[in-house]
Amino acid sequence: MKYYVRLGLVLLMITAIASGILAYINSFTKPLIEENRNRQKEKARIEVLSEATKFDSIFTINNETVYCGKDKEGNIVGYTFIASMYGYSSDVKTMVGISSNYQINKIKIIDQKETPGLGANCINPDFQTQFNKLGSSEMMVDKDGGEIASITGATITSRAVTNSIKTGILSLKKRFEKSNTAKEVTK
Amino acid sequence: MTLIKEFTKGLIKENPVFVMALGLCPTLAVTTSVENAIGMGLAATFVLVSSNIIISLIKNLIPNKIRIPAYIVVIASFVTIVDMVMEAYLPALHKNLGLFIPLIVVNCIILGRAEAFAGKNKLLPSIFDGFGMGFGFTLALIIIGAIRELLGVGELLGFSIMPASYKPMLVAILAPGAFLVMGLLMGLMNLKKKD
Repeated sequence: MKYYVRLGLVLLMITAIASGILAYINSFTKPLIEENRNRQKEKARIEVLSEATKFDSIFTINNETVYCGKDKEGNIVGYTFIASMYGYSSDVKTMVGISSNYQINKIKIIDQKETPGLGANCINPDFQTQFNKLGSSEMMVDKDGGEIASITGATITSRAVTNSIKTGILSLKKRFEKSNTAKEVTK
Repeated sequence: MTLIKEFTKGLIKENPVFVMALGLCPTLAVTTSVENAIGMGLAATFVLVSSNIIISLIKNLIPNKIRIPAYIVVIASFVTIVDMVMEAYLPALHKNLGLFIPLIVVNCIILGRAEAFAGKNKLLPSIFDGFGMGFGFTLALIIIGAIRELLGVGELLGFSIMPASYKPMLVAILAPGAFLVMGLLMGLMNLKKKD
């Protein structure tokens, strides 16, 4: 009996030390990781909406901030948002830049953990540039009868990217229409 | 002399993939290209050497009955540390390797070496054993990855190798290709051993 209690205590000690070390490392890597991610998002925003020089956050949809991009004179050139959907083995997150008439300017996949060599190929420029200058009604992969050529052996990932952008644009549209009617009513 | 032997045995004679058939899950999953193979191989080597060091140091403190859970805690901690530190300080590298790091936890080569070698040997031989097995694993991944990438995409490390008229054999980079290439290579190694 005593022997088994000792076994449990030794194991408890090992796990306690391990979690202590992990907590310590986490305490100083976490802010750095957060900073890296924010910087990466900022870079992606500039990339997908290169005409804008200034980005203002306007509201959040599904916990992700929507930014309004303005040029030097303060004219609105478009919006950026993050589209996210579960693909084959992870959430695929895409930064999308759209013009004010809801046409895609450019997209950039910023986070994914899909199968290396198959779904992970969605970060290749060949796949991402197909989306340029398309609208939400054209967001459909070739297997579903659309124009977007899906990645070889990774239809599910391609579909996740395409459909998440479509839902993203539509919910943004809805949000704007709602706030516009609200404004008219108050007038 | 014996230290060098501990290193070289992992490369061919006791190659973890082809001879001991360990760590096959990550081997099958990531060998779609040479680049992936190198990334996974080096990350696994690092964890393998680190866990061998710690385990050979603390082996006398761990009661025999709970050695396996203790080893797993050490390995999982190292994998998590690698993941966090790399994402914080080397975000560019983490973007490429990040996919493979969680896979290392389930790599049974690491637990296998902890159990079969580091838990019974002194520090220095354990380090050499870790490096040898790690490089043997990397070597096996690169060989399989090169064959699959060449047949499946017609490229090596992203450079086009095959003539433009070559039509890629897609099956090579899908799961069945992994089983076929690995099975044939293992058979080839066994054939040679018999002679």
